[in-house]
Amino acid sequence: MTTPLPVAAPPRPIAAREDTPVGRHRLTPLTLVGYALMLIVIIVYAYPLLFLINTALKSNAEFLVNPTGLVRAPEFGNFVAAWEQGNFANYVLNSVLYTFVAASLGTVMSLMIGFPVARGYVKHPRLWQGVFAAMLFLPNTLVTVFQMALRLNLYDTALGYILIMASGVGVGPLLVTGYLSSIPREIDEAAAMDGAGYLRYLFTFLPKLMAPVLSTIFILQAIGVWNDIILATILFTDQEKWPVTLGLFAFKGTYTSQWSLLSAATLIVAAPLLIVYLFLQRYLVASVVGGAVKG
Amino acid sequence: MNSSNYIVFGRRLTAQISFAIGMSLIVLFSLVPAVLILVISFTDIRSLPYLPTRFVGVENYLTFFSSAQIGYNLSALKNTFVFAFAVTFFQNVIALFIAVLLNQRLVGRNFARAVVFLPTILGVTVIGLIFSLIFNPSAGPAAELWAAFGQSSAFFGDPNLAMALVIFVQVWSGIGVAVVIYLAGLQAIPQELYEVADIDGATNWQKLRNVTIPLLAPSVTANTLLCIIGALQSYQLIYVLTGPINPATQVLSLAIFTQGFGGAQGGTVQSQGYAAAISIVQFVIVAIISLATLAYLRSKETAL
Repeated sequence: MTTPLPVAAPPRPIAAREDTPVGRHRLTPLTLVGYALMLIVIIVYAYPLLFLINTALKSNAEFLVNPTGLVRAPEFGNFVAAWEQGNFANYVLNSVLYTFVAASLGTVMSLMIGFPVARGYVKHPRLWQGVFAAMLFLPNTLVTVFQMALRLNLYDTALGYILIMASGVGVGPLLVTGYLSSIPREIDEAAAMDGAGYLRYLFTFLPKLMAPVLSTIFILQAIGVWNDIILATILFTDQEKWPVTLGLFAFKGTYTSQWSLLSAATLIVAAPLLIVYLFLQRYLVASVVGGAVKG
Repeated sequence: MNSSNYIVFGRRLTAQISFAIGMSLIVLFSLVPAVLILVISFTDIRSLPYLPTRFVGVENYLTFFSSAQIGYNLSALKNTFVFAFAVTFFQNVIALFIAVLLNQRLVGRNFARAVVFLPTILGVTVIGLIFSLIFNPSAGPAAELWAAFGQSSAFFGDPNLAMALVIFVQVWSGIGVAVVIYLAGLQAIPQELYEVADIDGATNWQKLRNVTIPLLAPSVTANTLLCIIGALQSYQLIYVLTGPINPATQVLSLAIFTQGFGGAQGGTVQSQGYAAAISIVQFVIVAIISLATLAYLRSKETAL
């Protein structure tokens, strides 16, 4: 870590700033080194993905003679074959359902429990705040969750999976209480004066006031649910209920050496994430990091 | 937190009921299982339902340290520490380096930041498959690179290399969050400090050592702690990359999974009580190490 890169120090007036600006400047040897290093970083991160796309476009025959080179005769047949053989339509639908319902439920629960604790509308708010923090440091509960699902007749059910996933709210309640400290209590009082009841305030007024933090919570939890593979593995025996992660993992087991088909399947799973990321990039980054630092 | 508990919405009951409803699911599937894990670690509960469950005292813990299991468990423990410390070290050092780099006035740095963060969104299954493809022993690009040096390797199948590769993939996929946290820390450093340093004729190295690093200490603490807690408990990527029973990459949390749900050595009906005991052992280890790390980093922070 001794690379003597200068920390950009442009001579400009003292002002509030978010980021050092990108601008035209002289190409010194040092900036050239900077560009070279940045290029290496980009390659290390972009290459695996580009290689995946490249492989997915190869026919089986081409992969056998040319496994690592650039694709010569790109074809999209692998995507059709993977989509049909892997039953991905079903898995994607399952994952969308699980992710949407579990993350929505988790977000609503975070709001329902975070708000009264932040405002002291329930007894022992400090104790509950401590519970919210402690929820981040629980032991690995795979075994007990599995046993409870068995005993509550939730084993191998979509409902069980969704409820367990939804209850993993993580930093959600803490983000709600943190954000509420910036919303003055007077707003509660004004709404109450105007005749809004507690529930109406909680479910119609607050979501508008807290849209940024609620969407952060939703995104954090949605990423977690979409990418889960372990709970799905221990909870589902019925393939029809599998999420897309498990479907892809099983697909890998079946078509072990058909790398071009496997790459196409991987891209099918990754594509929705890539598209969402393309449009919501800034937002997603802020969400994940906000959640992580809070935790 | 508010000191006054006065409720503006009239009766407190509505607030309490809606709080209880919101809390019930979390209590049921998050808090109760966390407490029960300790309880069932003293039983011989099985993965098959309706088998009789007996209370066995500390037997599961004795099994963990018994001569039959201790070799396996010590190796899992060793793997856990190697994995966690290597991931924490490399992830932080490389992330700090990338953050300083991408804080420069370079055209295209936003693109670079976006690309580095991408794996956070992709998830373990997709990442696992991408790297199985890259490290495909028979026809992958890594195999070609090895061949160029006259070498060949089974990569994830090679017990001497598997752990290093798993660490590499974990660092690769986890660095994005660390970079963004470091970038936020870098941007919070007042620019005037660098101007003052310039006036004093400080070199770039001196500015890095005496301004950037001390002021970045809180970010280092946050990143290190996040990373070590995560890495001590993480096994999803290892599961996807090398399977549940590869001894070279067996970490403690993966042992919980294999003991409880299959693939474990022995091959009897799984004792989930034993798996629960491992959960508790792991919990204690994570608690001790994270508290020790926090104490150490806090003392360092004040020293800087």
